[in-house]
Amino acid sequence: MGGLLSYFRNLLGSREMRILILGLDGAGKTTILYRLQVGEVVTTIPTIGFNVEQVTYKNLKFQVWDLGGQTSIRPYWRCYYSNTDAIIYVVDSADKDRIGISKDELLYMLREEELQGAILVVLANKQDMDGCMSVAEVHQALGLDALKNRTFQIFKTSAVKGEGLDSAMDWLSNAIQNKK
Amino acid sequence: MYTLLYGLYKYMVQKDEFCVLILGLDNAGKTTYLEAAKTKFTKNYKEMHPSKITTTVGLNIGKIDVAGIRLNFWDLGGQVELQSLWDKYYAESHALIYIVDTSDRERIPDSKETFDKMISSESLTGVPLLVLANKQDIPDCMGVRDVKPIFNKNAHLIGRRDCMVMPVSALNGDGINEGIMWLVDCIKRNIDIRPPRDQDNT
Repeated sequence: MGGLLSYFRNLLGSREMRILILGLDGAGKTTILYRLQVGEVVTTIPTIGFNVEQVTYKNLKFQVWDLGGQTSIRPYWRCYYSNTDAIIYVVDSADKDRIGISKDELLYMLREEELQGAILVVLANKQDMDGCMSVAEVHQALGLDALKNRTFQIFKTSAVKGEGLDSAMDWLSNAIQNKK
Repeated sequence: MYTLLYGLYKYMVQKDEFCVLILGLDNAGKTTYLEAAKTKFTKNYKEMHPSKITTTVGLNIGKIDVAGIRLNFWDLGGQVELQSLWDKYYAESHALIYIVDTSDRERIPDSKETFDKMISSESLTGVPLLVLANKQDIPDCMGVRDVKPIFNKNAHLIGRRDCMVMPVSALNGDGINEGIMWLVDCIKRNIDIRPPRDQDNT
């Protein structure tokens, strides 16, 4: 019965999209997740493990996974890669010291076979901080020019102020629908 | 044995791949053009509605198969701060499309300046160039006759490459076919200077 139901649901095209939010620790992944879900800033503690929430945006349902970003738990990201429709990669634009590490993690991740079809959105987060990097700087620092076979977009965001997330989600939902 | 046959099969169906860079100021219509080209040359392709196209900050790619080769489009963001990223793609491109918004007369000098900076790059020497006078659907836009002299002023920068200015409307699809067919001919002619992309590394 459940199988039949989900068959009809697929027919109607309302399959839940699976999205991963990844990035180094302290980039603001959990804040973004809850910004998307409840629309406000929640106090977060470093995620050990994951948070998963269902987010509805313009009639599209997303199942959003926010995985912990600390060095010791990054190797476990790959356990979640299968069937992923899109990756939201969050970068702390004010953290110039660790952007190199962020770049390595991103490139390492994108080499995974299971993620070849996934759409990539990069969020240059914490744009509210003084002296943060611009979009072009983040683009360069992450070495995104090496990605020549994948559609991606970068958005300036400030999860705390809620800026930029809407345009990012707009683009993402269009890109996902277009891919189908 | 399987590997052998598979290799043969791959060899038979594999097409030479060429990269086409789409550049121009922001809001010139680069992404709309790419969507229109994809729609024209891909069967069963559902075009993204033009109203859903937003400012590109990153990269859109599109692949189309035409005349026995595969074109791989790179559509980059055109905002001033993103223009510094264009040159990363020059060395690997086989053709160049520069899109001009002909309805925006005020920014034509701007567009021309950006164009000059781009075209004088050494890593683009000899690469075929297609300048598109876009938004021909808008009344009161500039025609090819007006646009051509402006962009031809610095002929020494353009040099000895195949170069063409064409009118186009990315929105309703006029002029897309002609442009792409012209580019394909040029790319094939230019094959000795810029051989197809090495596909083992992709």
